[in-house]
Amino acid sequence: MDAKDYHKVAQADALPQGKTLCVELAGCEILLCHTSEGVFAVDNLCTHAAARLCDGKLKGHRILCPLHGAAFDVRDGSVLTRPASVALATYSVRVDAEGIAILLEQSGGAACHKSP
Amino acid sequence: MTQDNTLSPGQARAPGPSVADTLNTDRQPPPSPLLKSQYNFLGDEDIPFERYTCSDFFQKEMQLLWPKAWQWACREEHVPDVGDTYVYDIGPYSIIIVRSSTEKIDAFLNSCTHRGTRILAAEGSGYSPAFTCPFHGWSWELDGSIRNIPGRWDFPHVSEASHALQKVNCERWGGFIFINMDLDAKPLADYLDVLPEHFQHFPLERRRIKLHVQKTLPANWKAAQEAFMEAYHNFETHDSPNGGNTQYDIFGKYVSRFIHNIGNYSPESLADYHGEKFRKPLMTEDELLAFLGVYGLDPGTVPEGETARALVAQELREYFGKLLGVDFAQVSECLMLDSIEYHLFPNMFFFPGINIPMAYRFRPNGEDVDSSIFDLLILEPLAEGVEHPEPPDPVVLDVDQSYTEVEGISWLGPVYDEDTGNLAMQTKGFKTSRKRGLTLGNYQEARIRRVHLTLKEFLSHENSLD
Repeated sequence: MDAKDYHKVAQADALPQGKTLCVELAGCEILLCHTSEGVFAVDNLCTHAAARLCDGKLKGHRILCPLHGAAFDVRDGSVLTRPASVALATYSVRVDAEGIAILLEQSGGAACHKSP
Repeated sequence: MTQDNTLSPGQARAPGPSVADTLNTDRQPPPSPLLKSQYNFLGDEDIPFERYTCSDFFQKEMQLLWPKAWQWACREEHVPDVGDTYVYDIGPYSIIIVRSSTEKIDAFLNSCTHRGTRILAAEGSGYSPAFTCPFHGWSWELDGSIRNIPGRWDFPHVSEASHALQKVNCERWGGFIFINMDLDAKPLADYLDVLPEHFQHFPLERRRIKLHVQKTLPANWKAAQEAFMEAYHNFETHDSPNGGNTQYDIFGKYVSRFIHNIGNYSPESLADYHGEKFRKPLMTEDELLAFLGVYGLDPGTVPEGETARALVAQELREYFGKLLGVDFAQVSECLMLDSIEYHLFPNMFFFPGINIPMAYRFRPNGEDVDSSIFDLLILEPLAEGVEHPEPPDPVVLDVDQSYTEVEGISWLGPVYDEDTGNLAMQTKGFKTSRKRGLTLGNYQEARIRRVHLTLKEFLSHENSLD
């Protein structure tokens, strides 16, 4: 799978605003987050203790870890709240008539956690 | 101006039409609570500056006020779903509010019952399907009961009774969630006094947070809130003609109010103010209308026989009616326009107005006696049948930032800068004064005195209040 290409991962209507959707691509769990500013993609596993963020909740632009309450800004993956200290990897997203596509090449943050 | 020595202390009032006079000549009568007035003289002794500057006094508040006072922590819309949490910090204390079931909201001290670590790190809204301490992984269900203790074999001395999360009293009113750390505290209703009766006419449950601004202020929490408890400062601080005729009400130990009319003024009330501004020449109705242009309306000129107050109230009914989908046709000028400010001891303010629809909270900034955190909510009415949207995250301003930096704050930005602009100098003045306390007006600043009297009661009771 070419990291330089966008890969379709979901239909656009599968992800209403305010919701998240976990997808798998090349062995990585990636969380799509639909905020008021659009759809963002981040690594699905918390950089603190690898809990699945899809079991947490999206509030505004923050994704909240269900285990210890760490918060990340889904727009750039940055840590907002302890106990996490390492940013989430983020992925470029394209939304068009064909659906939601992401560029596998990650920017910033920790290396993609492979699915267990 | 000479003083009338035949009056008892507190009986004197500014010359010119009273708030009651104005409300009685408005076209739409206000709800009955706004026609009530209740004031009694509370004394005229100076309030010692050390109440604002002394770390010993501050520590006494930390021991005897904040752990025993009801205070709103968040709004119900912050925790709409099971597992939604909100962390509220006050001084050294931290409280978790959680929607523990569809119908129930609980509150706990944010402290692990193992070795005391805070369970949730940051103030504000969050989500936890269960609570897990980040130190050793002890965990609890949303109702505070123990879920799991890793290495349970080593803790035969730990039980549900001894190590569940530590409960905090939690009650709701007006869409706000209140907490009280004192398990022996009287119910919230005892503190709310007239608020439920008055606010049934303007329910705060049916408001949504349009904007939340959280700013650090360079003054003790009491000095900061007292900048908002009277309209006596309007002339000097805001270059505004009205304020002298504001009505002040004391409803008991915990609740007070002011009603400050907007869109009119009495030059008589300014008779002994310096200069001749707003008196020579008198402001015309067109000039008063232009003064209210800050609301972003363009109502033109005031027709013969009409008043700026009535005209702007009507413009606001139409503007907000379209904007919010709410019918304001029968709503009084008072509710549409005026600054109506209820205060609940020790640090909370609620405004039922439509154009001035705020809630405030002032609290110590951590354990610093000289600074405070001011939470400002703008609470917009919700149309019938509309559900609460997700509340916005607070816009956080540091002590040197301006309210005008806040997107969407509109005309209020410069006003809040003016209101808070005196605080740093006041704090410095407290510390340089040979005079040992601040002096209060008997009427216009009586609400400040009421807070200090109730505070004194809290601090003089080592145990629960009667």
